[in-house]
This record gives sequence, structure tokens and C-alpha cells, in this order.
Amino acid sequence: MAFDLLSFVADFTSFYALYLAISLSLNLEFGYAGIPNFGKALFIAGGAAFAGSITGRIAAWALGVSKGDFITNNFAIMGQVNQLLLGDPLLMVALVVIGLAVAALIGGVFGYIMSYPAIHLREDYLGLLLLGMAQFFQIFLNTYTPLVGATQSILTPNPFYYFSTLNVNDLVDVMFAFAMGAFALLVWVYVEKTVRSPLGRVLRAVRDNDDASSALGKDTVKMRRNALIVASAIGGMAGAMYTFQVAFVGASTWTRFAWTFWPFLIVIIGGVANNKGVALGAFFFVLILKGLEQVQPYITPYVFNTNVNFIQDLLFSVLLLMILYLRPEGILREKSTETLARTELDKITGSKGNAMSAPGPGNESETRNDG
Amino acid sequence: MAMGLTLTYMTTKVPNFAYGDMVLLGVYSSYATVKIYHSNPYVGSVIGLFIAGLVSVAVYLIVLRPLARRGASIVSLMIATFGVDIGFAGIFGIYTDYLSNTYVFNDPKAFYTLGPDFSVAGYPGIDVAAPLAVAAVVLIVYLLLTRTKFGVTMRASIENPPLARVLGINVDLVYTVSWFLAGGLAGFAGAFLTLDLPFLGVNTGNDLIVGIFAASVLGGLTSIFGSAVGGIVIGGSEIVMTIWLGSGFGYGGAVLIAAFFLLSGVYMVRRKTYQSKAVGAILSILGVWVIADIAAGLPVDFLAGELVYGFGSAIINPFQVGIPLVIMAVTLLVVPQGIFSVNFRRLLGREK
Repeated sequence: MAFDLLSFVADFTSFYALYLAISLSLNLEFGYAGIPNFGKALFIAGGAAFAGSITGRIAAWALGVSKGDFITNNFAIMGQVNQLLLGDPLLMVALVVIGLAVAALIGGVFGYIMSYPAIHLREDYLGLLLLGMAQFFQIFLNTYTPLVGATQSILTPNPFYYFSTLNVNDLVDVMFAFAMGAFALLVWVYVEKTVRSPLGRVLRAVRDNDDASSALGKDTVKMRRNALIVASAIGGMAGAMYTFQVAFVGASTWTRFAWTFWPFLIVIIGGVANNKGVALGAFFFVLILKGLEQVQPYITPYVFNTNVNFIQDLLFSVLLLMILYLRPEGILREKSTETLARTELDKITGSKGNAMSAPGPGNESETRNDG
Repeated sequence: MAMGLTLTYMTTKVPNFAYGDMVLLGVYSSYATVKIYHSNPYVGSVIGLFIAGLVSVAVYLIVLRPLARRGASIVSLMIATFGVDIGFAGIFGIYTDYLSNTYVFNDPKAFYTLGPDFSVAGYPGIDVAAPLAVAAVVLIVYLLLTRTKFGVTMRASIENPPLARVLGINVDLVYTVSWFLAGGLAGFAGAFLTLDLPFLGVNTGNDLIVGIFAASVLGGLTSIFGSAVGGIVIGGSEIVMTIWLGSGFGYGGAVLIAAFFLLSGVYMVRRKTYQSKAVGAILSILGVWVIADIAAGLPVDFLAGELVYGFGSAIINPFQVGIPLVIMAVTLLVVPQGIFSVNFRRLLGREK
């Protein structure tokens, strides 16, 4: 098996971008807003499942494919749908847009529902509840046939089918990488803009000192709720992106390991409440993950021919504990908000020299909190 | 099982996400006892108790205590137990592959109920042994906590660690022992599962953990006996509700459900905030609706029929997991401190 560099790089990039997007959304709610979302998998799976199921049905309906029940004859229906979609790129684009919108909506709705307990409960209870919810949702998907066909999984419209018909080596992988990269870039810009805005400072203020910020007139409940909704919507969209990439959606994908623990690991490695850190953490994480996959044939014969996933699990577990133990703040620390330079302040207030009365932007009640 | 989780929570104030793995340790020690050494699963349960107990202590000493000493927050401790959970997933994966490779078993990752079980008057032995064992365990833990010197020191260390330390109690030792007990209980329970559940495997811990959390939360995370009661309620409600949803509620079930809705509804309405009052009102209306249905001679089977539509013949009934989850959510929102914190007399209006 020859090592295919281009394929590896493309695969690496799309995976990196996917996890970067998810981790950034987790960082928004966990790092900046202080909500430990141990049910991340719930929102991602929700977005993916509904997006996959609904776009498939819409496509079948719009193209007039009728071969009986959508779930039981899914493979036949979607096979025909994907063939027909080749001649209808506009519909394909529309489907992707609809899918992402549905995913964002579902993620947001789930986020809104879960924000009720999230605001009223302490961190530990909330963790139990969210983890339980995510676990339940996976079991639900696994048993409820009409949505994603329970254990059998369903195919979804495949936006990349056109590229795979061209028979160019690795083209599909490269296209994945571009699509995912663009998505992650958008998420990056959005999250970075948000946390650098006055809103981001309010979020951190609420995280660090609830009482002080509500005393200063900030609606802490609303802040937390909105952070959870937005982050969940991004999570749902990431789930939909992944679904469109692999072009099928099933229940067994959405484990709490891959979709809750890994993002947490990335955020912890990189640095809580530091987006650059998260980008770095995601890079190291994917490097280990994909690297292990590459060296798999050389290791597993010595470990009872086990699946490399288990070695990964063990390794990541140790890595997480090491980070928590040796460098709890992650590779990059959270930066304190920088106040404007004196000259800038002077410019704004229009006075020279004496700018003492200039109020800091937004809410400056936050304190650094890196224990 | 919930008792163990409560015990760990009480000592460290951290929900242990890796708890399902302690149960799995019991499951697999039982599996190994039966399959490799051709012994009885009951022997496995004792072995499981010790293995899981020791591993639990190791987790506490190696992972949680050093972190807690460094002043890690609750959230980072939770993440740490989450990490331990993942590590165990890897270990079990490798271990099962080891079993398949070395002993050429074809089913270590997912197996059916182990035999042989003895039988008592036509019933499987497990149905007799499990309740007896639970009763024995509850009794032993109860006696340990209330009648021995160690129990007193343990309760003291849990309630006020600095004061206990001042009085010369070795708080660290006490915590270590309680983690051993917690893990041991889980392993013990896990070994029993190999005789009870029809289908087991590396995912069993995942499927069970919701129920365990729910039982602990329902019982109140700070009361051991509460969690025993919670375990019985959750276990019972899972089975009962699953049967009801499968075959229709019947009158008795409907009355119980109505009572549940009404009680929690009234409790919520008596609270101060508007949200609580609204939720309470909805719950009460649901309760009245169910009663009206009964009065009109309509069993709630229609509702049940709607709910089970689409689930077909699944291996694990989703309701078996969903019900404890719903109970947990309601408990958390209505009585976060667990059922033992409810002042039932005030609820009935006897006391202001």
C-alpha cells in the first residue's frame, strides 16, 4: 500500500476543518460562556440526522422518485436520486443549503430546550443531564426507524457524486477538504468576531462573575442561553457537513467519544477560551489521530490484532490527564482583554492627555481566572 | 449501582462519568470466570467486586486526588473522569480482542446471558439471588455507616473534612475506602447483570449509565439510602413503563401516572417563580387530563400506541433508557436535592 500524500493531506484537512469548527463552537459555550456542554454529541447528531433525512426526502419528492417507503427502499431511492441530481446541480446546491439551515435550526432548537436546565442547574448536575440526553438520543436514533432508519442507516444526497464520476484521482478528497475548510473558516471568523466584540466580553464577564455582571445590568440568563443556542446551531451545521461528506447518516456514528470527548480534548489541549489555542490543539489532535491510522499496520500485530481505535482511546485518555495535570490552561493561555492604547482613547474622546474619564469598552468587570 | 455513584459523589463532589466502566469490569470478570475458568458467575461477582473496587481506588488515587489537590475545578475533574471513561473504552476494546485472539472466543464484544444458573422453584436463580444480594449489600452498608466507628468517621469526613481532620481522622484513607466500596458495588452489580440482561457487551456501560445517573439524582446525590430507593424506583419504572407502553397502560398505570403528574404539578405551583408555576400548571393539567380520560372510560392506550409507533422490534427498547432520563430531568428541575429533600407534609398542606 503506497502512501498517497495528496489523499492524506486532503483527508487531514477536511477532518481538521470539521473538528476545528466543532471545537470552536464548544469553545464559545464552554470557554467563553462557561457552560460545560457534555452533550455536544446531541446537538451535532440532531443536526446531522434531521438534515440527512429531510434533504433525502425533499430530493426524492422534487425529482419524482417513488419506489415505495423512503426508509425500507432507501438505497434504491437514493441511488436513483443521486443519478438524477447529476443533471440538476441547482437543486443539489439548494439541498445543501436547506440541509445546513435545517441542521442549524434543529441545533438551535435543541440548544433552546436544553438551555432551560443549563441555566437553572449547577455544573455537575447539568453535565449528568446533558451526557444522559446525548446518550439517549443516540439510542433513540438507533431504534426509531422513520428518521434515519434505525440500525440500517440511510443514504443522503451526495453533493460530491459529480466529482467521483470524473475519475480523477483524489479529486473527491480535495473537494471535501475545500468545502470543510471554507465552513471552518466561516465559523472561525464568526466566533472570533463574536468573542472580540463587546458581546464576547460580556460573556466572559458573566462566566467569571455572575452576580457582578447582573448587578451591572447584563441579562446573564439571556447571555448564557444565546451562547448555547448559537454554539449548538454551529454544532448541528458541522454535523450536517459531515453527513454530506460521507453521504449517509446512521445512529452508530454519534458516540459521545467522538463528538463530545474529542472536542473537549481539543479545547483542553489548545487552551480554554483561546481560539488560536483551539486551532493548534485541533492540529495536534488530528495529527495524532491520522498518524496512528497510518502506522496502524506496524502496531496492531503486537497488541492482539486489536482495532487501532482502542489504542487511540487509551492514548487520548492519557494525553488528556497529562494536560490537566501538567498544564491545565492548555498550550495557549486565555488572553486578557486589552484595553485600547492611550492614543486611541484620546482620539475617541477628542481630548489630549487627560482621558481618565473615558469608559472602557463594554463591561470590564471580568477578572483573569487561571488558578 | 446508584449507591456507589452517590458514594463517590459524596466524597469528591464530582459525578464520575467513568462509573459505567466499573460496572463493565464486573461484567467482564464474570465473563472471564465463566468462559475461561468454567466457574460459576456468582464466583465472578465476588471477583468483580474486588477488581472493580481496586481499579476504582486507583482512579481516585492516580487521577482525581492529585488534580483536586491542584485546585482543579469541578468541570475539569468531570472532564478528567470523562477521559478515564475513554481510556477504559480502549482497555475493554483491547481486552476483548485479546480474549478473541488468545482463547478464540467469537463473542466477547457482545454476548448473551451466561449460564449456567441454578433455579429456585422454577424461577431462574438470579431473580432470587439479585434481590437478596441487594438487600444484603444495603444492610451491610447501612450497618457500616451507622453502627461502626469507621462509619462514623466516614460520615464525619464527608460532612466536614477540615473538622474531621482536626479531630485526627485520616480523611484520605476514608475517601480511599469509600471509593473502593463504590467501585466494588458497581463490579458486584455488573457481574449480576451477566445473568440478568439478555444482551451484553462493551457498550453495556454506556447504555446503563443514564439509569444509574437517574437513580442517583432521584435519590438525591447526597443520600446513600436515597439512591437505593432511587435505584428501585428507576429499575421498576423502566420495566413497568416498558410493559405498559408495549401493551397499553391499563387503569392502575394511568392512575399512577396521573398521581405523579398531579403531585409534581402541585409541588411546582407552590413555588414562587412564574416559570415553576407554569410548568406546574402544565403538569397538573396533564394529570387532570389523564384522570378525565380514565373517568370517560378511555384507557390511555391510544397515547401509548402513538408513542411506540415506529420503534418496532429493537434490541434495546429506547424507553428503557428514556424513562429514567425523563425522571431525572423532572427530578432535577422540580426537586434538585432528590426525593428525600421533599417535605411531604408541607406538600399536603398540613404544615406551613
